[in-house]
Amino acid sequence: MSQPGVDADRLFLDLGTRAAETLARLRLARDVRVGASARRAVWSDRKTTLYQYLPDAPARTQGRPLLVCFALVNRPYILDLQPDTSLLRRLLEAGFSVYLVDWGDPDDGDRLRELNEYIEQGLGGCVRHILEAHGVDALDLLGVCQGGVFSLCYTALHPGQVANLVTLTTPVDFQTPGDLLSKWVRELDTGLLERAGNVPGELLNALFLSLMPFRLTQQKYVRLLTGRADQRAVEDFVRMERWIFDSPPQAALALTQFVRWFYQENRLMRGTLELGGRAVDLKSIRQPLLNLYASADHIVPPAASAVMGRYVGSRDYTACAIDTGHIGMYVSRKAREEIPGRVISWLRARGEPRRRARKP
Amino acid sequence: MMEMPFTTGSREADAAFTAAAARFFDLLRTFAAQPLGARAQAPDWTSFGSLLAGQFEQWLKGSPAAGASFAAAAGFPGAAAAWPGAVPLGPAAAQGADAQSAWELVMKLGQLQGELARHWSEIAQSSAQRFIERTRTKGGPDLSSEGALALYETWVECAEEAYAATVRKDDFCRLQAQLTNTAMALLLAQRKQAEALARAWGLPTREEADALQRQIRELRQELEQRATARGAQSTATPEAAAARPKTKSRPKHRARAGAHRRRGSAGRGRR
Repeated sequence: MSQPGVDADRLFLDLGTRAAETLARLRLARDVRVGASARRAVWSDRKTTLYQYLPDAPARTQGRPLLVCFALVNRPYILDLQPDTSLLRRLLEAGFSVYLVDWGDPDDGDRLRELNEYIEQGLGGCVRHILEAHGVDALDLLGVCQGGVFSLCYTALHPGQVANLVTLTTPVDFQTPGDLLSKWVRELDTGLLERAGNVPGELLNALFLSLMPFRLTQQKYVRLLTGRADQRAVEDFVRMERWIFDSPPQAALALTQFVRWFYQENRLMRGTLELGGRAVDLKSIRQPLLNLYASADHIVPPAASAVMGRYVGSRDYTACAIDTGHIGMYVSRKAREEIPGRVISWLRARGEPRRRARKP
Repeated sequence: MMEMPFTTGSREADAAFTAAAARFFDLLRTFAAQPLGARAQAPDWTSFGSLLAGQFEQWLKGSPAAGASFAAAAGFPGAAAAWPGAVPLGPAAAQGADAQSAWELVMKLGQLQGELARHWSEIAQSSAQRFIERTRTKGGPDLSSEGALALYETWVECAEEAYAATVRKDDFCRLQAQLTNTAMALLLAQRKQAEALARAWGLPTREEADALQRQIRELRQELEQRATARGAQSTATPEAAAARPKTKSRPKHRARAGAHRRRGSAGRGRR
């Protein structure tokens, strides 16, 4: 028969031992490295850097160019966090010439930088550099989260430069009923936000954590304790922690414009968005489009992304819900097993971008 | 940049783990101390619920991540609480109307935080109620190893459900926006007073720095337009096209496989 007092004593002794072991492993893992693949900077403009990822076999560097555009609000190394979960590495292994936009850290000199500058000069500069370097008219573009929104905007404005578009966890409708983030910022005074200055990354972290505070600030650590994680699992955990809490600051004006135009006014979906005086019409996107979103996403609810097909002009539109959460799309086993394969086979089925005609 | 007094800059996973583990043990101790289930003739679920709710409410109030008032409730009041002592200003240095308006913002922030505390209390009560309803059907907390973990998972589930139910309500969302707006307005009011002092000391102000930045941006745009126009002209003749400068590129150096070491260097340099 169970004796409650004895049970409790045994439990505390057992959990105390496990806690001490886990803590020791966490301390050992403090200096764990993030980033798995070699890369080189090939172009830069202000804080934006374009990296080319380097495959093990150098002959492959002139493969079909694929540009990955990540969000401003997190750092892109999540896509290459460690070898066994690296989406970029899988794309390299499949023979693509993989490029990644790194937006860098805005400082006070960037507080008046507009969203349009990020898209036209930053993303656009990267695209133009790659087209020139590969001698092609168009490239494949893979946009992630907010970077997916930028990719949609860029493709709508410059359809001739994008051969195939892939979006990952990318919202189009910013006001779906399940979007808590959207509800919270709906009545934010964007005039004050703009004048208050650049927003620290820590503030955004707190915002994202507060969407599910008990799971994200308590439960995951307790599960580490109770799950008897070995050193390797603890190191994987620390890599994720490093990424989660390593958010860059946000340029004041660009963030303000994003909140106002997308979250508060839902301009992308309504067709009222203008960048640099040019209308962003999603119907202009006629190239093949693969849209992958997470069915349990607490940041970009599935409904926010699933509607994309209704608003773009593409006749070759494929949408796929992956059974995971927002972060799970980048690092979970599901992501590792399902996403690279889907992206690679979908792109391969659509053929390579056209080479530029040689001038006589 | 906005101030964030509640964050420390560096955040190690082991510190976060220790805090979460401590909270976990506290919770288990609370479970273990209750004369419930088989151990009690007449379980006092009401007292147990009150105790859980009280502890949880304290945690909610103290945790910067818990709560949509991420900035306003946890961050800016650091500045507000110190007001006006921490700001190197006296009534003589600031306009009376500005000081009055800043003071009104501090008052408003306090009032909004009071409203927020009511929401925390609602979440805590609701979490405890949900938890007790689910635990009662099982005859009380099971403190075997597996039972304790299942109990914890149930607790988190109840807490998230109660939290989600509250923070999605329109009045909470409105309050959240009001808190953040008021905190930002207070920050700007403080800055305005600091600028008055800076001006008195002959130091450059935020306003002046912004004006300079705007000028630089305009000049940069003008340069870019001229460069684009020159480029268009030069491509008009084959000779000029040949002489056109290439896209700005960095030297192509092969990076070593590996990684940046610490937060801050991430995303920059070679990997």
